[in-house]
Amino acid sequence: MEKILVVARKEVLENLRSARYWGLVALFVLFYVASTYAIGFAIRGFGATLAGRQRVVLQLSTNVVNAFAYIAPLLGIALGFGAVAAEREKGTIRLVLSRPIYRDDLLNGKLIAAVVLIVAALALSTLIAVPLAVALQGVNVTAEDFARLLLLLAPALLLALAYYSISLFTSVNASRSSHALMVSLVLWIFFTFVLPIVASLIAFHVLGPPPAITFRPNATRPFQPGQEPAQLREYFQKYSQIVRTVQLASPNARFQELSSALFATRQQTGAYEELSKVLSSHWIDVAVLAAYIAAFLLLSYIFFLRRQETR
Amino acid sequence: MVEHAIETEGLVKVYRGRGGEVRALDGVDLRVPRGVLFGLFGPNGSGKTTLISVLIGLQLPTSGSARVLGFDSVRESLEIRRRVGVLPENYGFYEHMTARENLEYLGRLDGMPARELKRRVSEVLELVGLKEWADAKVKGFSRGMTQRLALAQALLKDPELLLLDEPTLGLDPQSVALFKGLMEELVKQGKTILVSTHLLQELGHICTHAALIRRGRILAQGSLQELSKAYREARGYGYEISVAAGAEELVRELRGIEGVTYVALENDVIRVRARQDVTEQLSSIASKYRVRSLVPLAPSWDELYRFYQGERE
Ligand SMILES: Nc1ncnc2c1ncn2[C@@H]1O[C@H](COP(=O)(O)OP(=O)(O)O)[C@@H](O)[C@H]1O
Ligand SMILES: [Mg+2]
Repeated sequence: MEKILVVARKEVLENLRSARYWGLVALFVLFYVASTYAIGFAIRGFGATLAGRQRVVLQLSTNVVNAFAYIAPLLGIALGFGAVAAEREKGTIRLVLSRPIYRDDLLNGKLIAAVVLIVAALALSTLIAVPLAVALQGVNVTAEDFARLLLLLAPALLLALAYYSISLFTSVNASRSSHALMVSLVLWIFFTFVLPIVASLIAFHVLGPPPAITFRPNATRPFQPGQEPAQLREYFQKYSQIVRTVQLASPNARFQELSSALFATRQQTGAYEELSKVLSSHWIDVAVLAAYIAAFLLLSYIFFLRRQETR
Repeated sequence: MVEHAIETEGLVKVYRGRGGEVRALDGVDLRVPRGVLFGLFGPNGSGKTTLISVLIGLQLPTSGSARVLGFDSVRESLEIRRRVGVLPENYGFYEHMTARENLEYLGRLDGMPARELKRRVSEVLELVGLKEWADAKVKGFSRGMTQRLALAQALLKDPELLLLDEPTLGLDPQSVALFKGLMEELVKQGKTILVSTHLLQELGHICTHAALIRRGRILAQGSLQELSKAYREARGYGYEISVAAGAEELVRELRGIEGVTYVALENDVIRVRARQDVTEQLSSIASKYRVRSLVPLAPSWDELYRFYQGERE
């Protein structure tokens, strides 16, 4: 146990000194603040129509969830791809493994450090960006909103850890960290950019084009919310079901559904949905993310224990 | 008390790669006595690094077994690594950390208690002459400085056995001298050192014992005297006599000794070769002259290597 903490401590300190880590934290803050800017414009420009608190926070949460969906995986990858491969590349692993330490303790220490560093980065960016949003953009964030924004760190941690586990696995099996990085990024690109497009293509292919709707000639907006014709609503329900099914195994999609659910409000009162309800209706999202973490961590341990350090 | 510091039996290591199989170790029976400076001599690719990796459990033998300080290299490698200091080949340090931070991290992994570690880190840094650089980042270190730091990390836990893989490779003469001095000093303190090198001229003369390895096999091993014996019996015995006066006379007399095949005089030094050991005859004749010294010549490790290599082929 002692050696695990020795490794964890050193990993944390090393990362806190690295430009890579702070670059990612800065990127987080930037995305966060940028998403609040957009809302600030909206408030000033369309104050009358968007004045409702719910709309603004809803908009904010959507933007923040999207920002996290992009960056949390990158944070996981940044911490994972070099974990073993870079030590191999630099030769530090030879000095470490010629000491009385179990190989799994080395991975355990790195995992603990990764959790600490991910939580720190996520929390820090939230704590910087939300007050900035309030001060600069006049976004009205209540204590309850803020609590939800902090709660968002939980799924974001899961998402980051899923990618950490994947890139740790590639790192364990690579002798060059650039190879591990490349494989991890390809996977990230696939889940982030390719799969959503593929999913909608499949949906269009299955459903055909949306049904033709006749518009009322003098309407300023095509439909009042919730007033869409039934055939159109049905079409989009089917559409999103297909998209969801195709992306069932995507950590990104699981994160987005889970996090969006955190900000869902009840129709009558406008209050947030209870957490237990969110969890019970979205356990599958949690399960998929946890499965990624468990599976790739396990594989990393197995492969690392088996692998001999040559050259 | 185990007799040998290192003892291997029929050690075989086969690498299987895309290019087929490489038998890096091909039945190695190595015996390293305690308390000696033991050379592992062989050209590049002869299996030195592989052997050292197997000894500390970094790699598993394909067959055969190794015991280090009485512990099995496969089942008890942790116990071995607790007691052995290693200077591996192709190692590296954390470049964004200082020399001291690197050593403190590695020392903690050695399981050293914090207070002792602090003292010991300063001690070994001083020992290898890096005291002034203790708080500089390793990133800017030269090859010589890095290699000194590598020796320092091997010495951290004050181990009873040191495994040094090509420690002087690519070093400046000053560092080489420092390394040799430290190695001799450590052996005087009762430690055992196994040092691998392909530079026999550079490190050979400080080693009292050696194993000569080639293509994963040990050609010969033992003390310099033991290994010289077969060499002398085959190649003859050499002597060097330094005289103050009467050299010509002495040369004539030496030529008369039975078994002497060659006598030459050059600058007051007489070189003698003989088929058998003629030390006694030489000293009795020399005692009649003003002789400064009479030294039986030991073959160099280089000569021994070539000799035993020829024996095998
Ligand atoms: N990881 C490896 N994979 C395949 N072959 C290897 C590996 N490491 C070493 N070898 C081969 O094993 C032999 C011995 O190598 P090594 O132990 O490094 O020798 P030395 O240290 O004496 O130079 C060489 O032929 C080398 O090419
Ligand atoms: Mg080598």
